[in-house]
Amino acid sequence: MLEKLIQLHQIKKVFPNTNIPAVDEITFSIEKGNICVFVGPSGCGKTTILRMINRLVEPTSGNIFIDGENVLNVDSDELRRRIGYVIQQIGLLPHRTIEQNVGLVPRLLKWPEAKITQRVVELLEIVGLDPAESAKKYPYQLSGGQMQRVGVARALAADPPIMLMDEPFGAVDPIVRGRLQDEFLRLQQEVKKTICFVTHDINEAIKMGDYIVVMNGGKLVQQGTPMEVLSNPVNHFVKDLIGDDRGVKLLDLTRAESLMTAVTESPAAANDCFCFIDAIQPVKMALEVMMKNDSDMVGIRRGKNVVGTLSWADIKKHIHKISGDQE
Amino acid sequence: MEVISSVLKFIVNNSSRIMEYTGNHLSLVLTVLVFSLILWIWVGLLISKYDRFANSVIGLANILFVIPSISLFGLFVTIPQLGLGRKSAALALIIYAMMPLVRSVYRGVKSVDPWVIDAGKGMGLSPAQILYQIQIPMAWPVVFAGIRVAVVMITGMATVATFIGERNLGRLIHHGITRGSAEMIIAGAVVVSVIALMLDYIMGLLEKKVTSPGLRHRSEDY
Repeated sequence: MLEKLIQLHQIKKVFPNTNIPAVDEITFSIEKGNICVFVGPSGCGKTTILRMINRLVEPTSGNIFIDGENVLNVDSDELRRRIGYVIQQIGLLPHRTIEQNVGLVPRLLKWPEAKITQRVVELLEIVGLDPAESAKKYPYQLSGGQMQRVGVARALAADPPIMLMDEPFGAVDPIVRGRLQDEFLRLQQEVKKTICFVTHDINEAIKMGDYIVVMNGGKLVQQGTPMEVLSNPVNHFVKDLIGDDRGVKLLDLTRAESLMTAVTESPAAANDCFCFIDAIQPVKMALEVMMKNDSDMVGIRRGKNVVGTLSWADIKKHIHKISGDQE
Repeated sequence: MEVISSVLKFIVNNSSRIMEYTGNHLSLVLTVLVFSLILWIWVGLLISKYDRFANSVIGLANILFVIPSISLFGLFVTIPQLGLGRKSAALALIIYAMMPLVRSVYRGVKSVDPWVIDAGKGMGLSPAQILYQIQIPMAWPVVFAGIRVAVVMITGMATVATFIGERNLGRLIHHGITRGSAEMIIAGAVVVSVIALMLDYIMGLLEKKVTSPGLRHRSEDY
């Protein structure tokens, strides 16, 4: 049983001078080390939920617990220093260097300067920026993609267990976005943060999410793994959101690990594999590798360990399951 | 050419008097500047925090600003505690400095990208830290534009204080007018302009020193 790190209990938010709640009595929890994606059209309340977790918005009623502790009992500034925060607009301080931007929260937490310097270098490398080249630059000297990397590095600086990300890759072009998504998923394999991720893009939600919460008009419409949502949309709204190409989405956006047969279930199968892909690579990669190697099965690796297998039959079964009710 | 040489000759022949006037002029301007900066930057910050007072305070500054200077100087002289001289002159000039200073501080703080503030807040900066680490440093370019306008304006307006007893460069110009002496008028005006340009230049240096290079490129864009 995985630990539930963030719990929302009947959270409701009615903004002043409005009658309709922006978020209407929503209850759910996020497991430790998971990426939970809130997806829905603009105005559905997804950003409001995110901003209530670090108390940038205070709920009208209901409670939010982090690690069992009610966030309303914690000083809001202290709470926020323990939670990484990344937004689409990035919000780098334009008058501070990249180094100072990344070191912002450690400095608030009064880390010794030597430790901050070391951490900044480490983080810039992690997000794929050359510290020697970029540390002394100012934000205006970077490209949009680089700025967003700095935004992620800044949020990770004090090693917070939780990250809130509001359309973090929304402002960059599709190619850079894809790259940032891939890099972030790879990074997440190492850092294992608990992440709340907001997007209006269902493709991004399926790709990034371990768990998806579909919202509309302040209400929770459906929650589940990307597989569950793709294969079993509860109503027309979710169906429309996903689109007609669910089978292809599955191939393109679902990570291999979500369809695999775990090695613990059939240890023998893993020994037969002679070609492998990474657990976070999309299922279509598995097909590609199978075709290239003329094999019916690929092994799924996480780091150096083989954690499962994915066969052509597995994939077909899932596509049938997903597309089945459309015929 | 003849005019220039006669103005120069006038300045050389009256150097001690001009030096005295210049000293008085400069000390009045600097006194006003110090008090104005302390007072109006503070007021500007207050109204950017308590937004509901902003319109009325800036409105008041605008109204005070359009009062003809000679009448405001004169009015203060009639108040017994102020009377003729430095107190009335300084007070009137401080009031004129209100408009450019309060408005630029308010506009500077308000012009800060709200997403930068949101990010700061989201990372756990307290309201005071947001003010000192984000809003004020980011407001400097706009604030300095206001300060430089105020400095040049005060330097010019200070000449009028000659009518209420200040022995400054305004006196040179005034006497030049009554005696029909172009040399005197020009000499006075030139020295006043030099002071204004010099103070503006110093403020420019100061601006460069306090404004982050990360912001400087923006003002160059305009």
